Amino acid sequence: MKWITLLATGFILTGCSKQAGQIEESGIPVVYTVNYPLAYFAERIAGDLVDVHFPEMEGDPAFWNPSPEEIVEYQNADLILLNGALYAKWVPKVSLPQSTQVDTSAGFKDRFIALDEAGNHAHGPGGAHVHGEVAFTTWLDPQLAILQATVIRDAFSSHWKEHAAEFESGFLALEKDLLSLDAELEKVFASLGKQPLLGSHPVYQYLTRRYKLNLRSVHWEPDEASDAQMWRELDAILETHPARIMLWEGVPMVETKARLAEKGIQSIVFDPCGNRPSVGDYLSVMKSNLHGLE
Amino acid sequence: MRDILYMAWRYLAYNRIKTIILILSITLIVFLPAGLKILVGQSAESLTSRAEGTPLIIGAKGSPLELALNSLYFESDMPPKMTFAEAQRVADSGLATAIPLYIRFNARTFPIVGTTLDYFDFRGLEVSKGRKMAVLGECVLGTDVATNLKLEPGQHIVSSPESVFDIAGVYPLKMKVVGILSPTGTPDDRIVLVDLKTTWIIEGLAHGHQDMSKPEAAAGVLKREGNTVIANASVILYNEITPDNMDSFHFHGDTAGFPITAIIAAPHDEKSGTLLQGKYLGDDELVQIVKPSTVMDELLGTVLTVQNYVVAAVVVIGFSTLMTSVLVFMLSLRLRKREIEAMHRIGGSKARVLGLLSTEIAAVLLIGFACAGLLTLTASQFGAQLIRLFIL
Repeated sequence: MKWITLLATGFILTGCSKQAGQIEESGIPVVYTVNYPLAYFAERIAGDLVDVHFPEMEGDPAFWNPSPEEIVEYQNADLILLNGALYAKWVPKVSLPQSTQVDTSAGFKDRFIALDEAGNHAHGPGGAHVHGEVAFTTWLDPQLAILQATVIRDAFSSHWKEHAAEFESGFLALEKDLLSLDAELEKVFASLGKQPLLGSHPVYQYLTRRYKLNLRSVHWEPDEASDAQMWRELDAILETHPARIMLWEGVPMVETKARLAEKGIQSIVFDPCGNRPSVGDYLSVMKSNLHGLE
Repeated sequence: MRDILYMAWRYLAYNRIKTIILILSITLIVFLPAGLKILVGQSAESLTSRAEGTPLIIGAKGSPLELALNSLYFESDMPPKMTFAEAQRVADSGLATAIPLYIRFNARTFPIVGTTLDYFDFRGLEVSKGRKMAVLGECVLGTDVATNLKLEPGQHIVSSPESVFDIAGVYPLKMKVVGILSPTGTPDDRIVLVDLKTTWIIEGLAHGHQDMSKPEAAAGVLKREGNTVIANASVILYNEITPDNMDSFHFHGDTAGFPITAIIAAPHDEKSGTLLQGKYLGDDELVQIVKPSTVMDELLGTVLTVQNYVVAAVVVIGFSTLMTSVLVFMLSLRLRKREIEAMHRIGGSKARVLGLLSTEIAAVLLIGFACAGLLTLTASQFGAQLIRLFIL
C-alpha cells in the first residue's frame, strides 16, 4: 500500500517547478517604513541610493490601518523597516514577506519599558494576556535611535553591498547629529533637575529613562478638551507630584493651556515626531523641542 | 505483389477477431515495458525537480521522508510540530531565507498551507486573478481548487473541522478568496494558500471577540480580578475576519512559541547551506535538517528497484505471450492446410504462398508495433494527464 501511495505521489506530479526567490532589481531599491523617524534615518543613511517611502497618514502611525492597496505597496518593497516594540499595531494583522522585514529594535528588546498591565483579560487556552505590553517610542532616547540607525545601515549594506561605503558615511553623519542632540537634551534636562514633570500622553517613557526625569503622564489629547474627570485626575496627581511643566505631543487647545497656566503649569510642546512633520524634518523638530525646554 | 497484399488483407479482414487479438497482444508486449519506463521516468523527474528546487527543509525530529512528502507535496501524515522560533533562528543565522510552513488543516479535501509571502517568490507562483493575501483571513487558491469548487475572488471558503465530534476543538474560519494562482502543474495547484498567522487563528491561538470592557459583553464575564477580565465560554468569538472586527483579533502568547510543521531554508550560497546543515548536527538538537533531493533520491532508488522487478516480470510475460502468438500462427497454418493445398492446385507457386503467409504475419506484427509506438508516444506526451484522469 505504501509503495502504491509513493508511486501515486510521484505519478500525480507533472511539469517542472522552477526555483524562484531572487529579488528583481530594477532601478533604485524601494524601502518602506512604519514611522517617520525610521524614514528619516533611512534617508540620511542612504541619500538618493534608496527610495524611502513612508505613506502619508493622519494621526499616530502606531495606530494606523493601511488599505489593502497600501499593504500591497509594502509587500512589493525591497525592505520594510519596522520599529519593533509592538509599534504599528497593523503589522501582525497583515501578510508581509518575512525576508524583507527588518526589526530595528530587535537587538535591544531587554531595554524595552514594560507598561502597566491595563486591559488584561483571560479566556481560552492561553490564560491571561494583555495588549500592548511595552512602550514603543524608542527613538526618543537618542542612544536607542542610534542603535536603530545601525540596524538600518547594516541591512542596507547587506542588501546593496556596492554602496556600503556611502551608507557608512551617511550613518556617521547621522550618528554625529544624534549624539549632539543627546548631549544638548541631557544638558537641558539636567538643568531641570528632579523637578516633577507631566506628560500629556504616555509616550515619553524612553525620554524619561534616558534623562532620569521625574515625569508622570496623563491621557490627554492636544486637540481635545479635557473633561471634569480628567481635571480631577490631574489634581489628584498634582497633590503628590507638584509639576510646573507639562510636555505635549502637539500644541494644546488655548482653553486647556490657559487653565493649566492658572494652576501654575507651563505647557511645552515636545513632539515625538512619529509622523512626518508639516515643516522641517526629524532633527529640526527635535531642535525645536529642545528650544522649547530652554 | 499487389495481389499478395490484397489477399493477405482479405484474409486478416475475414478473420478479424483473431487478427485483433494478435495485434493487441503484440501491442501490449512492446508497450508495457516501454510505457512503464516512460511513466516512472516522468514521475521521477517531477519528484526530483520539486525536491531539487527546494534546497533544505527543517523540521522536528522524525521521519525525513514524511517531512519531505508533507512539505513538498502536502501528502503523507503531518510531521511532528516545532515552534516558529526555529524559523527566526534560521533567519537570524544570516545563512538562509526561512520560509515557515504549517500544513495541518484542510478546506474540503484541499490542504490549507500556512506560510509567508516569500513562498510565492520561492516557488515562482503567479496570481492570475485578484491579488496575494493582504490581511489575516484572506486566502489564495490553487487553480485546481478554484476550478473544482467553482470559486472566484470575492467569494469565501471555510476551513474544515478536524473532527465532527470535537465540538470544543478547532473552529471553522470563513476565509475570503482574494486571488487564484496560475496553473503550475505542481501540487501548488491543489492548495489553499494563507498567511501563517491565519492558520494560527484556525487553531485558536489567535482570535477576535467582543470588547470585554463594554456593557454588552457583561454576560460573557466570569469574574474580574483587578485589571484582568476572565471570560466564560459564552464570549462570542468571530469566525470571519472583517474590517469591522479586525482590530479585536489578537494572539495569545508569544508567536515564537506557536507551531509550524516545517521550514524551507533557501541558503544564500553553497557555503551558507553547508554551514547551516552543520548547525543541526548536535545530539541535543530537537530538529533535523534534510536535503529533499537526497531523501527523494533514496525513495526513487527503492521505487526504481521495484520498477526493474516489474519490467522483468513484464518481459517474462511478454515472452510467454510471444510464444503463444507463435503457437497461434503455427496452429493457424495447420488449420489452413487445405486452403494452402487449394492455392497450389490453382497454380500458386510455393514462393507466392509463402509470401502470402509471411505478409499476413508481417502485417500483424507491423500494426502491433505501430500501435505500441503510438501508445508510447501518447504516454510520453500525456502520461501525467492520463494518470490524473484515470487514477485520481
